[in-house]
Amino acid sequence: MLAPYLFGLAALVAAPALVTFGLAFTEYDLLRPPEFVGIENFRDLLHDDVFGIALKNSLVFALIAVPLRLGGALALALLLHRRFTGVGVHRSATALPTVIPDIAYGLVWLWLFNPLYGPINLLLRWQGDSPTTTAWGVQPPQWLTHPNDARAAIIIMSLFTIGEGFVILLVTRQGLPAELYDLAALEDATAWGLFRRITLPLMAPILLLLLARDTIFSLQWTFVPALVVTEGGPPLYSTTYVPLFVYRNAFEYLRYGYAASATLVMFLLTALIVWVQWLIVRRWRKGFAVG
Amino acid sequence: MARPVSRLALEGVRKRFGETTALDGVDLEARDGELLVVVGPSGCGKSTLLRCVAGLEAVDAGTIRIGERDVTAVRPAERNVSMVFQSYALFPHLTVRENIAFGLVVREEPKTVVRERVAEASKLVGVEELLERRPYELSGGERQRVALGRALVRRPDAFLLDEPLSNLDAGTRVQMRTELRRLHREIGSTMVHVTHDQVEALTLGDRIAVLDAGRVRQVGTPDEVYSEPADLFVARFLGTPAMNVLASEAARPFLEIPAGTLVGIRPEHVRLAGEGVPARVDLVEVAGSDAYVFLDSDLVARVASDARPSEGAEVRVAFDRKGLHLFHEASGRRVPGP
Amino acid sequence: MRAGERRWGGWRQPAGIAVTVAFLLPLWFMLSGSLREPGQPPPRAPELIPRPLSVTSYDRAFDLVDLGLHTVNSLLVAAVTVPIAVLVASLAGFAFLLVAGRARAILVGLSFAALMIPITALLVPRFTMFRWLGLIDTWVPLIAPALLGLSPFYVLLFYWSFRRLPPELLEAARLEGMSPFSMWRRVAMPLVRPVTIAIALLAFIASWGNFIEPLIYLFDPDLYTLPLGLRSLETLDRTNYPVLLAGAVVATVPVVLAFAIAQRYFLHEDRGAGWLGR
Repeated sequence: MLAPYLFGLAALVAAPALVTFGLAFTEYDLLRPPEFVGIENFRDLLHDDVFGIALKNSLVFALIAVPLRLGGALALALLLHRRFTGVGVHRSATALPTVIPDIAYGLVWLWLFNPLYGPINLLLRWQGDSPTTTAWGVQPPQWLTHPNDARAAIIIMSLFTIGEGFVILLVTRQGLPAELYDLAALEDATAWGLFRRITLPLMAPILLLLLARDTIFSLQWTFVPALVVTEGGPPLYSTTYVPLFVYRNAFEYLRYGYAASATLVMFLLTALIVWVQWLIVRRWRKGFAVG
Repeated sequence: MARPVSRLALEGVRKRFGETTALDGVDLEARDGELLVVVGPSGCGKSTLLRCVAGLEAVDAGTIRIGERDVTAVRPAERNVSMVFQSYALFPHLTVRENIAFGLVVREEPKTVVRERVAEASKLVGVEELLERRPYELSGGERQRVALGRALVRRPDAFLLDEPLSNLDAGTRVQMRTELRRLHREIGSTMVHVTHDQVEALTLGDRIAVLDAGRVRQVGTPDEVYSEPADLFVARFLGTPAMNVLASEAARPFLEIPAGTLVGIRPEHVRLAGEGVPARVDLVEVAGSDAYVFLDSDLVARVASDARPSEGAEVRVAFDRKGLHLFHEASGRRVPGP
Repeated sequence: MRAGERRWGGWRQPAGIAVTVAFLLPLWFMLSGSLREPGQPPPRAPELIPRPLSVTSYDRAFDLVDLGLHTVNSLLVAAVTVPIAVLVASLAGFAFLLVAGRARAILVGLSFAALMIPITALLVPRFTMFRWLGLIDTWVPLIAPALLGLSPFYVLLFYWSFRRLPPELLEAARLEGMSPFSMWRRVAMPLVRPVTIAIALLAFIASWGNFIEPLIYLFDPDLYTLPLGLRSLETLDRTNYPVLLAGAVVATVPVVLAFAIAQRYFLHEDRGAGWLGR
């Protein structure tokens, strides 16, 4: 029963992963056999400005996007967990953007973010004094043509795909014992009190699991938007993230060993972050064992 | 401990959930300081009744009074009642102490007050040794005590208990029953205890209210409700094994009853010795000092264990006249006589 | 509703509506943008519905790139991938249940670890392997991951769902002498139908939207799946937004449909009053 899965895991995940980590120490262009070069790749990475930028971009993105996404998913789950007319529609709407193929999603934002004619800037400039200013008299963000605006754009794009976390938190919230909330009603807890004393502690384990997962996800997700929408630009790699960096080095520059070393670095970094999060979880969980 | 006492009253309370009527015009009063048990089968509305008193459900019609106050529109937190839930509802991430202190902490009582009251409450329910433990480390009975302690600590006007003993094993249940009675005597507050277990009701309550399908069938002391049931439902609900009920046909060998009535007689009032109507014994169940004899005529008799007949024996059955109850067949209401 | 509470449906309603509008906006603009006439001067003011409405962009999209063929290709790939993935994942998830203690913990741990591996780490070795097998420029590399249930995540989801079934059911089945496969087929699977549907949907979304793998493995345009078709559109005519968006719409409609059908089974479960079912 397990056979296909285990075989698949071994052949398509474990083996390739190991090979990649091995290749990190070689120079390989997919044509000639790999050439062992020890840690030279890693030294190159250290000196490679582009990699430095890519790494910083990826980390900053994760740092900003993950809390926003999780916070948003939690807020939505708490908003929509009770049944009221039309709640089904709202729940579905939240989940819908996650369903769209990444590339279609990217194309839409390509249009939305167009600094001159895209709907977002058109809306922002609508009430403006001149054709180039917003209602507040300043220039609207130039989105894809400015480095920081482009990064902001990528973050905004990631905020709409919180459907998966939303569904998980929704189901969790619905599974919490109703009696604790009844009790709190009798004891006069305010809405914030309820959240702080009951909802948050009881949902903490799942939240922390999602935190780990979303961190991993965020560090990898940027590939399609970066490729399709911003193409790693605007100039000077402002939205080149590590996945794009790796892809380019592997398939465009044919420096696979180098790309592999970057992948290894990213993997280790991810593992480190998740491990730290796990340590924090453990300290909290000591208090949360459910009877 | 101070003795806050209050009467609780429901007047004409109605509650519907969509198509189903849970409470159909309930008039009920729990007197100052009494332990009122509300008992009835599953789905009779007893939990809903309690939740309405607590304010966790808003009533569709009628009034709820606590003391002299009309609290029908008042938020649960301002009614000054405490509730103990069937599943205890203890916070898994807090210690016993923190659980008990919850109500006071939320209301921002000063720390000294909290400490003092928690000590008092935990002593009353016997959990002083467990204050630093967490719920998952406790047994069912211990958790129940903590839930009680938490309810006590706020000194409410009244206590509402929603089948608190149903989740306990049989032995603990009997023990906790006594505990509850003791507690009630000590603090003297008004308590409304809801249960589906009629034995629990008969042993626990100062008075019992029997509920069925959202209506109160009868209210009275355990004695009254047991020996003078107001209708067929109450008569059959209380007592184990259930009261024997016969239509005029089946009753004829024993006595004549008017047409359109049913006669009821409890197993302990069915005599097997001496003169009477012949019958054969189908089954005999021994329960300690008593034995239940199931006869082929569908009658059940209760006799002393050492006086029991054997299965298959022929016996003579008679009714003790003082144990006869007469009921109107159509409405189920009690009819005086015979 | 509690005593003294106002109809709180009150503030949640408008908030819910706001949320729906916000999340549907990108889709709305996808649709409305695709209905603009290509070649028209760009809009000066934000417009929710373009004037004139036209479907020329769709014709153009299908002209520039063989979108119809690509759609069919995507469907074919998905049609093979999804059932295999669900099958493998559910079997494996169930097998986790049957394997006891230590071994199970290892399996679960391995699956979690596998989840963490970035896809970039897997690309080149897989590519090399498939090239060595002569399977580049076919759909096999796209379907192959179905063999591992597409993702350890699905396996774990199934495992977790099976674990929530009352153990007595499986014990009774075992006593009846059922083989593990029978137990899986007759007892476990029928009871987790919502989960199965959810995972099938997820697998479909993953397969349908898969971009990076077709990008690497497919060179023959006749074999392109829809995401690649869209990419072609983009490289051919990058600023022709109506056409690009038309392609996006074509790519989106099937998944939205699948979602609409499937979500009834798992998004509307509402426990409301807790497990005691008052």
